[in-house]
Amino acid sequence: MTELRWVGTPTERVDARDKVTGRAKYTSDIRLAGMAHAVLVRSPVCSGSLRGIDISAAEAVDGVVCVLTAADLSDLGVVDPNFGLTVLDQSILARDRVRFTGDPVAAVVGETQAIAEHAARLVVVDVEPSTEVLTVDDALAGIALVHPERDSADPEFPNVAARQEFSHGDVDAALAEAAYVHEATYRFPLMSQCAMEAHTCIATWDPHGSSQLEIITGTQQPFKVRSDLARMFDLRHNQVRVRTGYVGGAYGGKLLTKYEPITAALSRKIGRPVRLVLSAEEGFRTVARHGAVIHMRTGVDADGALIARDSRVLLDTGAYADKGPGVVKKAAYRVKGPYDIPNYRSVALAVYTNKIPAGAFRGYSTPQVAWAGESAINEIAEHLGEDPLEFRRKRLLARGGAFMTGDTPLDADLVDGLDQAAAGVGWGSVLQPGRGRGLASGVKDGGGGPSRAEAEVRILADGSVEVLTGTCEIGQGALTVFSQITAEEVGCRLDVVTAPMPDTGSSPFDHGTEASRSTVLVGSAVRNAAADAASQLRALVHRWRGSEVDFTLDGRVVRADDGGEIELADLLSDDRNLPRTAEFELGSIVGRGDHFTLVGKDSPLGTPSNFYEVGHGAVEIEVDEETGQVKLLKYVSVADVGKAINPKNCVAQDEGSTLMAIGHTLFEELAFEGGEPVNTNLAEYRVPGFDDIPVEGLHAVLVENGDGPGPYGAKGAGEGGTIPVAPAVAAAVHQACGVRLRTLPLTPERVFEALQNREGEES
Amino acid sequence: MGQRLNITTHVNQVRHDLDIEAAELLIDVLRERLDLTGVKRSCDVQICGTCTVHLEGAAVSACTTLAAEMDGSEVRTVEGLAVEDRLSSLQQAFVDEGAMQCGFCTPGFLLTATALLEESPDAAPEEIAEYLSGNICRCGGYNAILAAVMRAQASDRGDVG
Repeated sequence: MTELRWVGTPTERVDARDKVTGRAKYTSDIRLAGMAHAVLVRSPVCSGSLRGIDISAAEAVDGVVCVLTAADLSDLGVVDPNFGLTVLDQSILARDRVRFTGDPVAAVVGETQAIAEHAARLVVVDVEPSTEVLTVDDALAGIALVHPERDSADPEFPNVAARQEFSHGDVDAALAEAAYVHEATYRFPLMSQCAMEAHTCIATWDPHGSSQLEIITGTQQPFKVRSDLARMFDLRHNQVRVRTGYVGGAYGGKLLTKYEPITAALSRKIGRPVRLVLSAEEGFRTVARHGAVIHMRTGVDADGALIARDSRVLLDTGAYADKGPGVVKKAAYRVKGPYDIPNYRSVALAVYTNKIPAGAFRGYSTPQVAWAGESAINEIAEHLGEDPLEFRRKRLLARGGAFMTGDTPLDADLVDGLDQAAAGVGWGSVLQPGRGRGLASGVKDGGGGPSRAEAEVRILADGSVEVLTGTCEIGQGALTVFSQITAEEVGCRLDVVTAPMPDTGSSPFDHGTEASRSTVLVGSAVRNAAADAASQLRALVHRWRGSEVDFTLDGRVVRADDGGEIELADLLSDDRNLPRTAEFELGSIVGRGDHFTLVGKDSPLGTPSNFYEVGHGAVEIEVDEETGQVKLLKYVSVADVGKAINPKNCVAQDEGSTLMAIGHTLFEELAFEGGEPVNTNLAEYRVPGFDDIPVEGLHAVLVENGDGPGPYGAKGAGEGGTIPVAPAVAAAVHQACGVRLRTLPLTPERVFEALQNREGEES
Repeated sequence: MGQRLNITTHVNQVRHDLDIEAAELLIDVLRERLDLTGVKRSCDVQICGTCTVHLEGAAVSACTTLAAEMDGSEVRTVEGLAVEDRLSSLQQAFVDEGAMQCGFCTPGFLLTATALLEESPDAAPEEIAEYLSGNICRCGGYNAILAAVMRAQASDRGDVG
């Protein structure tokens, strides 16, 4: 391969200047002429029958434009009020029953945000409370049904939204024969994605417009939103146009359809644009990460080989399934861990409760199941008297191995990566008293399930270049990566490339911005599109020079390696027999590309993994035994990215995902009193800040072997850092002070209590 | 609704005579009336630092400051950091370090760090981290943000071009 000019080099983010000057427009910054403001009225209780909603006082407020309840939806052309991933159990507004504290029951539109907020407080919601299902245990015991009209997805237990099982070999026989069976239960907290910009949407319903419905929304999945709106309002896809601006944080919480349908219904009702901007508090009540209870048995034979793993993963999916069915599928798959275990049985359930709906969150079940799986590996190594690094060296899957039978061969050297993490914290060197070290490895199938991506690259007559995709810029830097790939393939300068935000009316299709898929899948489509455009340009240049010379596009000028120079516009003018005088008439060179995941029917997930996202972590910590405080001294994360197209972005993504996991490891947890979440604000729900950076540093190390399926050998990144943190820290705590904790987060209270009780281990 | 006030203020060195409600918040006047949407709304309870602006040179949270305090005062927002399209050394350092991801917190960090550098241009790394601890970046980009502030310090000292 020729030397790369833009790929792998430290280039400036294409959105950097917008973002440091305040020019970057997020959905909440956009105002349309005649726009009215919506505020939702939410259920004050977590479970009950909706007896009535009195909107009279709200309607009487000066400046209120309309108040809507579920009863009004069919008059507004809503043919199906339900939405979701595969279980369509969530409705635009609750009709007969409320299922969590915060379930939307009505919407108020006012001339100003303040008027709408004031009027929304005057809506009286009359709910007859019913039995609250607040824990997964109560749900499975069937104390009440969260969705009485729906069948449970589990043959044995009620309230199951989705169930997944993977098994291989004879796990019961293997466990019965095992020399040692490790058995434990691990708990992972319910968390909030907590994007700094809460969900925001602007809808314009115009029955006379070319699109009947135009939506601007802070989403990760504009084409999914388009499809849902078309289905729900009985429109064609091309009658719905969905655009995004910059998205102020997402982390999975802005996947699927969220508030676009209610905003659309309101706009249709009043015949004006309507904007819905959630408060931070409402953001907490929109979607969460599944809290989890994982019961796991792992069997080891007399030689210390891992011969069986039996896992049961209970995920609290809250009041609505949202991404739960997908999270459950991946949880059951990933809980086995990156080891060659001949006998396994993994069952995962997404269980309904009367809590905030849980959906996608960076890692998509992997942080939960790796907390159990990797903690168990650390505990087994200790039981066998082996160093946890050595233990893994002998047992981690080798390159080319199958995660499960029929899978894409593993595309990483796990031992090498883990060694780098361990070396980074001085593994094996003498520790000071009160300190401990720990490590863990994680692998997640990368890129999500089967999905398609399309891209278009246009070389304009003045030498500037556009790369069009349906990918959202949620902070990960995708538009920068696509611009780099385009400049590389076209042979132009990076600064003449622009990458517009998605607009379903003009952007090529993309499944959605999730699962670390953008660089690999959409990036491949971009590379194909750019190569297509470049080959068309190359044909023009070769005809002009009369030979197959190399060339670059330097602004407006094509410079051939044989010394020839010509303006691109002149080339196009000659080729297209169009007058040179009006440059705009010359059109553009359009390249198209696509990418779709391969279908392999024998692979356990139904489609083979696109690649494996690998995260290793090693940590040194200190425990203050008087307070129970765990202090991180140094953390090293190793991310196998194949090829870093933008190394700075890769490091930033990996550090960010690691830091997010430090949150759920040490302090983050959405707490409930009964059905009421009690810390739905940033004052009481602490997220990682500057103080949480380990004192001797948080280091992200990139492994680049060029062995990914993406452009230039890239793999996806940005989620791997979330995987190993909790099990690594818990192992370090055990080494530092002898307490074994299996419930996250490792708060000072929890550690202190365990210290008081040091002899007894948690069950 | 409530009591109204006539105030005179300078925002990013432009004079504004405004008729406001006594209870109106600084963030609403800046965003909704003056269209300075670089001032970002997030936590609404003065925890996250996202809405940070300068009032008489001091970093304040616009979400919990009354607009009435603008009267007779100088206000600076992210839109006022660059002088005619020339980025401040701190903005340039954020660009060079790639010290933003989703970018929603970036204006707040820039205003807080600008106040720090004006107050204490030679602040040590630990002091920078301490000063910025009232700003939250949910993307977790603190390493790059710290590097950017240090790069700006070096640039201001003339250590780099």
